[in-house]
Amino acid sequence: MTATPTEIVAPPPRRKMNILFGLTLIGLLIFLWIVLGVVTPSFWTPLNISNLLRQGAMTAILALGQTFVIITAGIDLSVGAIVGFCTVIIAWLLQAGVPLWGAIALTLAIGVAIGAFHGFGIVHMGLPPFIITLATLTSLRGIGLLITNGSTINITNEGFSNFARADLLSIPSLFWMVILVAVPSFIFLHLSRWGRYLFAVGSNAEAARLSGVNVKGMIYLAYILSASFAAFVGVLLASRIAIGNATQADGWELQAIASSVIGGTSLFGAVA
Amino acid sequence: MIGLEEVSHRHDDSATLKEANRIPAGSPILELKGLQKNYGHVQALKPATLTFLAGEIHAIVGENGAGKSTLIKLLTGVITRTAGEVLWCGQPVGLSTPNEAIARGINAVHQEVVLCRHLTVAANLFLGDEVNRYGLMRKKQMEKMAQAVLDDLGFGLPAGALLSSLTIGQQQLVATARAAMRGTQFLIFDEPTAYLTRQESAQLFKLIRRLQGEGVTIVYISHRMEEVFELADRVSVLRDGTHVGTRLIGETNDAELIALMINRSIEQIYHKEEIAIGETILAVNGLSGPGFEDVSLSVKAGQIVGLYGLIGAGRSEFALGLYGRQPTTSGDIQWMGKRVDIKNERTAMELGIALAPESRRDQGLCLNLPIGLNINLPVFGRLSHGPVINHARESANADKQIRDLSIKTPSRRVPASSMSGGNQQKIVIGKWLSHGARLFIFDEPTVGVDVGTKAEIYRLFAKLLKDGAGIILISSYLPEVYELADRLHVFRAGKIVASHDFHAATHEEVLSEAIGV
Repeated sequence: MTATPTEIVAPPPRRKMNILFGLTLIGLLIFLWIVLGVVTPSFWTPLNISNLLRQGAMTAILALGQTFVIITAGIDLSVGAIVGFCTVIIAWLLQAGVPLWGAIALTLAIGVAIGAFHGFGIVHMGLPPFIITLATLTSLRGIGLLITNGSTINITNEGFSNFARADLLSIPSLFWMVILVAVPSFIFLHLSRWGRYLFAVGSNAEAARLSGVNVKGMIYLAYILSASFAAFVGVLLASRIAIGNATQADGWELQAIASSVIGGTSLFGAVA
Repeated sequence: MIGLEEVSHRHDDSATLKEANRIPAGSPILELKGLQKNYGHVQALKPATLTFLAGEIHAIVGENGAGKSTLIKLLTGVITRTAGEVLWCGQPVGLSTPNEAIARGINAVHQEVVLCRHLTVAANLFLGDEVNRYGLMRKKQMEKMAQAVLDDLGFGLPAGALLSSLTIGQQQLVATARAAMRGTQFLIFDEPTAYLTRQESAQLFKLIRRLQGEGVTIVYISHRMEEVFELADRVSVLRDGTHVGTRLIGETNDAELIALMINRSIEQIYHKEEIAIGETILAVNGLSGPGFEDVSLSVKAGQIVGLYGLIGAGRSEFALGLYGRQPTTSGDIQWMGKRVDIKNERTAMELGIALAPESRRDQGLCLNLPIGLNINLPVFGRLSHGPVINHARESANADKQIRDLSIKTPSRRVPASSMSGGNQQKIVIGKWLSHGARLFIFDEPTVGVDVGTKAEIYRLFAKLLKDGAGIILISSYLPEVYELADRLHVFRAGKIVASHDFHAATHEEVLSEAIGV
């Protein structure tokens, strides 16, 4: 056939570059650790490290959920509000005498419902993700304040509030929760076909659709995952601060988006 | 009234342009001497020696990857040369930046319009060159001047309209007018008609001839031979990065040019074999939907059914309706003798219908994702154990298609966007070969595809037919459907207006049926 040398000019796989790029970020992080270790003696103490792991855990879980949404070229601005709202819900349910497992299950179900609502607005009403999740952000904070009458609900369940302070194998239990969420997320995104479909939808929804991908279903799935992860973070936060308060987790959505993007997700949707 | 000359006059103070104006028609305006471009070890353009004469229309033809884009990029200063010399009006020039090229009067109009879609036509015409007074833009005056230019060119476009409200063809005209306003001496068109309708192409050709009349040198790059013969004075052929010859248009013909381009004769391109016609796979009866009405046709195993018509005649709409992408309003579909209801794309795929859609960019490919993922997209269900993908089978399937279709890529991990048009089309086809189907719908499978790849695609059709499949081939390129289709249906305004058996009507008859004269 016709040998066409110019076509080989195509850029070689970008994998090597990506590895280098990934290493610069880790390099910066290690540099930061070294500087902090030198500047302040309290940085490399077990107490501080486990505190950092606890603090970072919730943002990490939110960022994982946000990643699914961003891959579809969308955005979920409501995750911070969902966290605050869910602390209220679980505190409210516990106060009303619902058993702990039931309260957790109901709170997570509310996360699923919120995500499904986002999917509905985007797929069936044609609303931009930015708008509908912004609307949820505002209204959930409002509903949460309405439920608590503007104040906070105390959580008296000792077992529940001890969980966030507990360690397992000297690693904070909150960080174990990150692993609990991250491992299935990785399998979903990189090893299952649903992950491939998610990338395809973010890259070219029409092409994905004509290839037999259930595009609407994938968009529902992405927003449901994001909102459910946020509800889960709400449960963890309630355990950590032992109160339900709708104004908690203010601005966490931006941290989640930032973490996801620094982690390599493109705000323009899927990239190889 | 302000004409084109008056607006472009604002640029004439530049000395370089005056210099170009002095070159009499027919003398060399731009000479390439051993111009060469290497990317690493790959020679994208081997030392080329080529002369462009002032005031001529010079066509450049060649397959994808023959070095045409490299040549344009060198001339417009987008990339810098590895070796060689460029003489502009007899003087050696660097052409190392786009600004230098523009300052000397060298402009290009690209296949994809590179203008701001959310600005008005006037704003686009004056972009980067706005008329100011006291640091404020004079919008009214610019709009008036723009309107005068548009009227002068006979476009019939409102200067105040948003660019996004125009068709791609009209946008192309705006891009050309923009280049013409900048006092261009040397204008390069890179496949400008790829997305244009017939009327829009005609309008563009008129404009090109008018610019030529004003002394502008035109370089015209196209895959379409008939355009080259309609427009050009001289034609140069590139093959594998080599300039293989330049001919006066009166002294050459299709066959010679194609032979130069691919080293192969024209009969070998349209590959049609005697294939036994089998049972009826699909019979459509009075199908109507958005954009098409009362379409009845049938496809048998081993048969190519051609749908010919101008863009917008309802052929692609029919295909999308049949495939379940658009709802149909009436009519029925018989699949292998049974009446079926195709509600969505997945139903169509399960039945055994594959659709390689009209636009690779918008419908066919996830461009920024790897080739492998694109090829496997319809078959991930088959490549998975439960929820988890079997990586070995995933890569094996992608590599098989890349090898079978000879897609020219270093790896399946390369994003589809880095491939040329022909290779991208092969990826779309590979997607459906790996899925398998009884009925393949190919919608404009060879737009922007070079002759060599076309021949490969046609040979592939024959292979599919031999395996017992049927093909619906949609095209607005008449020779293609004419030479390949066993049964040819002509579409106009959403309806089938005529049907012919293989070679039962002449080109002229089919064309006049499609246009409706």
